[in-house]
Amino acid sequence: MKSRMKRILAGLAALVVAAAIWLPCLHLVFTRPLSNFRQDQGLSPKARQLAARHLQLWTEPALREQELKKMRASNAEWDFMGRSYLVWSLANMALRDPASKPLYLRTMDQIIDETLRLEKQEGMYFFLMSYARDRHYLVQPAHSLFLDGEIALMLASRRVIEEKLEYRTLLTERVNVIVERFQKSPRMLLESYPDECWMFDHCVALDAIKMADYLDGSDHSALIRGWIAMARKKLVDPKSGLLISSFNTDGTPLDGPEGSSIWMVAHSLQLLDEDFARDQYRRARKELGEITLGFGYAHEWPKSWKGETDVDSGPIIPWFEISAGSSGMAFIGASTFDDGKFLASLAATLDFAGFPSRTRGRLKYCASNQVGDAALLYAATLGPLWQKVKTGAQP
Amino acid sequence: MIKLLWQKLALFRRAEFLSPRDLLQRALGISVLFLLAHLAGLREFTSVLNGTVGSVAAGWKLSSFLALIYILLYLAFVILVPVLVLAAVILTVWRRGVQKEENSRIAQETSSRRPDAAG
Repeated sequence: MKSRMKRILAGLAALVVAAAIWLPCLHLVFTRPLSNFRQDQGLSPKARQLAARHLQLWTEPALREQELKKMRASNAEWDFMGRSYLVWSLANMALRDPASKPLYLRTMDQIIDETLRLEKQEGMYFFLMSYARDRHYLVQPAHSLFLDGEIALMLASRRVIEEKLEYRTLLTERVNVIVERFQKSPRMLLESYPDECWMFDHCVALDAIKMADYLDGSDHSALIRGWIAMARKKLVDPKSGLLISSFNTDGTPLDGPEGSSIWMVAHSLQLLDEDFARDQYRRARKELGEITLGFGYAHEWPKSWKGETDVDSGPIIPWFEISAGSSGMAFIGASTFDDGKFLASLAATLDFAGFPSRTRGRLKYCASNQVGDAALLYAATLGPLWQKVKTGAQP
Repeated sequence: MIKLLWQKLALFRRAEFLSPRDLLQRALGISVLFLLAHLAGLREFTSVLNGTVGSVAAGWKLSSFLALIYILLYLAFVILVPVLVLAAVILTVWRRGVQKEENSRIAQETSSRRPDAAG
């Protein structure tokens, strides 16, 4: 009896010691050099593999249909955003890998044309969540800044790589609609859903306006400056200093600062106001970013704000309060602001808990979906497009 | 015949609870279960982690259930299996150390008794 107890205690002690050795080492199995995810020049191996999978989706309609069906069952927005992130990624890839530019341009055109066709044929509600139909938009005719902004940025990104006259008119029309609405709105806040405005959508739309200025020689710098000044004054959470994610047309907050929004907002702001963008990233990193035992992840809300789990945050993993949505978007923030340590630790988590699946040089993450993988591809390739517009290099 | 052969393989013999062999048997069991789940394609269902259904045909409930099975087995495989193997190694090394100490103690005692026995 005594010897049995001794054996069990020895076994338990060995398990504790083994766990104490293994757990701090676990991340080493999944940590790769940062260049595996993102490189300053050219394309990283991961970007190539993710891109190969996305390009396959756009050459095999049945496969694309299957992927989109799964996403649309949860959120029709993801179908649309998956297209946007892929087009923006391909624009950056064309600048990083000029030899493949014709293939990237062809795919960008295919995505843009199909998106515009669906918007025209099915109406704007096709890419919105169903509650958009529950109320009327306050400003008529109804427009969603979510759609207008992202479509405009898709068109502009394509034109930065190579001019296409057909898209020039489409971009001008889209930008004019957004600018006109900004000018008519007393608080410069535009609806994405009925009386529901999103920070993410405003920043993306302003990026599109900035790029249209770069492409066509227009000047909306006063509008952009004015909007940022208003946002700094009225749309910042006083406790964290982070921009809130959604609000009514009168500026009343709906949601506070959110990880699923702020990382992309900081990235978008980089094109508009570098200092403000860096400040927002620094605050988001402090309030939301974490590295535990070598694995990086992000919370959806700062400690000072309690929000509700929703379709944007994704399921929240208890104890560590890990948000899939925020952690995925954190790649974009970390990549934008060259936060190598955080980015490498996020990449380690991705390979540990994202369930990568590789087939013939094509990579997808099973725990993700098409829009998630497209956002990761964007994080792995972003940089050259913004750089070109910021430096004013020839379109 | 097969049963006899099976039993002759030391790793598959019934082991004492928390002995090195018991820990290795558990590690092997988990690895086999994970391999089966992996080969069955349950990895695809982990998309429920981001709120996307693993398969439209299977529906949410079944997709979530299959994802849960896969995730638990995966975590057991990458976290628990190495811990069990390491613990088995630690126990073996420790036991050998204890055994060695015991042997040298017995040898010392035997050699110190010899002159008495001779006298």
